[in-house]
Amino acid sequence: MTPTLKKLIQKNTLEASDIDAFVQDNEFPLVDGTDVTFVYRGAADSVNLRCWISGLDTAQPFQALPGTDLWATTIELPKGSRIEYKLEVTRQGKRKLILDPLNKVIAHDPFGANSVCQGFGYERPEWASHDPLSRLGALERKRIDSQAFGEPRDIQVYLPATFRKNRRYPLLIVHDGDDYLRYADLKIVLDNLTHRLEIPPMIVALTQSPDRLAEYAGNDKHAQFLAKDLLPLMSTEYPLIDSVDSRCVMGASFGGVATLHAAWRYPEHFGCLLLQSGSFAFSDLGRHKRGPVFDPVVRFMNEFREQPCRPADRVFMSCGVYESLIYENRSLVPHLQSKGVDLRFEEARDAHNWENWRDRLRIGLSWLMPGPAWLVYE
Amino acid sequence: MNSGAPLRLLLGPQRPVVNLGIAMAECGIGDGPIAVISAAWQEAEGDIDDIRKLVSNELFDLPIYQRAYALFEADKPLHDAYRSRQDQLIDQQRLYRLRLRQLTIAARGILRADGNPDAIDEERRHAISQLRALDRHHLRQINKIYKRFEETFDRVRNSRLAEHIVEIEKQLERCETVLITGGNVVVLMNRLQLFGLSRVLSRKNIVGWSAGAMALCDRIVLFHDRMPQGRRDPEVMCNGLGLVPGTVLLPDARNRLRTSERVRSSLFSRRFAPASCLTLDNESLLLMQDGRVLNSELVRHIARDGKFARVKVT
Repeated sequence: MTPTLKKLIQKNTLEASDIDAFVQDNEFPLVDGTDVTFVYRGAADSVNLRCWISGLDTAQPFQALPGTDLWATTIELPKGSRIEYKLEVTRQGKRKLILDPLNKVIAHDPFGANSVCQGFGYERPEWASHDPLSRLGALERKRIDSQAFGEPRDIQVYLPATFRKNRRYPLLIVHDGDDYLRYADLKIVLDNLTHRLEIPPMIVALTQSPDRLAEYAGNDKHAQFLAKDLLPLMSTEYPLIDSVDSRCVMGASFGGVATLHAAWRYPEHFGCLLLQSGSFAFSDLGRHKRGPVFDPVVRFMNEFREQPCRPADRVFMSCGVYESLIYENRSLVPHLQSKGVDLRFEEARDAHNWENWRDRLRIGLSWLMPGPAWLVYE
Repeated sequence: MNSGAPLRLLLGPQRPVVNLGIAMAECGIGDGPIAVISAAWQEAEGDIDDIRKLVSNELFDLPIYQRAYALFEADKPLHDAYRSRQDQLIDQQRLYRLRLRQLTIAARGILRADGNPDAIDEERRHAISQLRALDRHHLRQINKIYKRFEETFDRVRNSRLAEHIVEIEKQLERCETVLITGGNVVVLMNRLQLFGLSRVLSRKNIVGWSAGAMALCDRIVLFHDRMPQGRRDPEVMCNGLGLVPGTVLLPDARNRLRTSERVRSSLFSRRFAPASCLTLDNESLLLMQDGRVLNSELVRHIARDGKFARVKVT
């Protein structure tokens, strides 16, 4: 329990006004070094902290503070951690998952929103927030008549602020592009990193699958879509540098699998890969336990691990240490390195979520495609 | 003011605040035509309409980036030799960096060390002299590479190159002042050196911002403490035009350098001494003539102890 909370409950008589003041005067959860105390105020039969991260129980019970309507629980969170959570409040037998009413910091994802605990030493990166000095790139929509899927697909294309038709640009292909824009602030990050010369001005193709769990799970049609539909269209319609080194593909979770799979199916098409928390499930013996949606992923990963290839010259991998996939990601590293891939692997004290992926974009993109900051003095 | 030796007006980045127009209006550069070298902008070279809005003089573009491109298209042997030279320069820089890293770590360690002051002082001097010796050696190696290239492609004997140089010099006859923009300093230096512009530029007033100012120094020193991959030690890249002797200019130092780290700054200053390491931040201005500072606004020099002090008019 944090000293702030201890001080409150050590009072002889605790008035409602004391609790009001306590709630008013503090930011929640209470972070005291590596101890983090979550607080809930209200009538309830029970309160649990729910965070789906590897290493902690999925439900962490709160204790009611005697004579009050305050509930609290303390967990230890290593320095630099960031976790997303909800509160599970049971009242009159009815269970509800809610955002933490005392915490204003929220992260959104395609399934809704979570409260965010920013542990001791974590700071939201300033390069991920709007910078009024950064010149803004533009987004435009494109339709691709996909031979691979036999139907049109819509993508968005990001053009850097300094885009000129007579210059040539590297290409970045992003899986779950709309989600990266919405939940990982990808456009802001691209604008800022380009402005700071940390990445070169680049053209970015943002794809979004209507059925990602099927299409991203080691699916040949999807790989064909990237290599034979998207790449030629981008090369025809935009001034791209005609070099494998200048083509990068990225994705998170199943998008990471789709990225690795496409590069594996079409070697010499993509020079760099950014793999964030890739769902690289595999089985050494017996059947995997991740459910049927992972069956094609496991088939692909087992095949890849059996005969690893060099899918690209440079690969940046990142994974949160609080996700179960950390094991699979760590396992992939030596396979790629054994094939001479120039690989960098970063672990973060975070879990399987969009803000983790956002926070790793700077180091990942600038390592794969370094900008001219060293040489340019504007 | 503009009598005798030519003026050197040196500015920092032109963002977010633009001070080019005011600085030029006040420095006594005169109202004659001005040639603009924007090769550091690479493919965007010649896009100088924004500068026209700031400066009342007639401006004309001196497109040496595009000239080099046209020259390479027309003269394959020259292009091949140039590419080969660039590969050699890159490799030389890589080897230099390997040695530089170790020497810099050692020098910083010695600068931080405690103990007998006399003994430490001696070790500090020696550590820094080793760094300086490496910088000198590196420059000698770089110059050898340039010399080999120039012996193969003599500016006079190579007719296409000579034609371009004659045309550039003819264009420059029209003006007393040349404006050199910021941008990619390596590209800028490559083009200035290819066309051998050092001599003709030495007789002109020069206004340069950021990379355009760096190009005028004796040596081009690359620096950036805030790269996403971590700090990188300052590197000597090549000789500059030597038109602002005795200075190492540091554009946008406020953002690129960790100025509060005294040991790092002290090493910067002592490594490049006797040259003065001068910051050129946004809104700063340094006007020099014949080695004298005629005007200085917001320019700081890094002292031997790593502190930053305002540069005064001399």
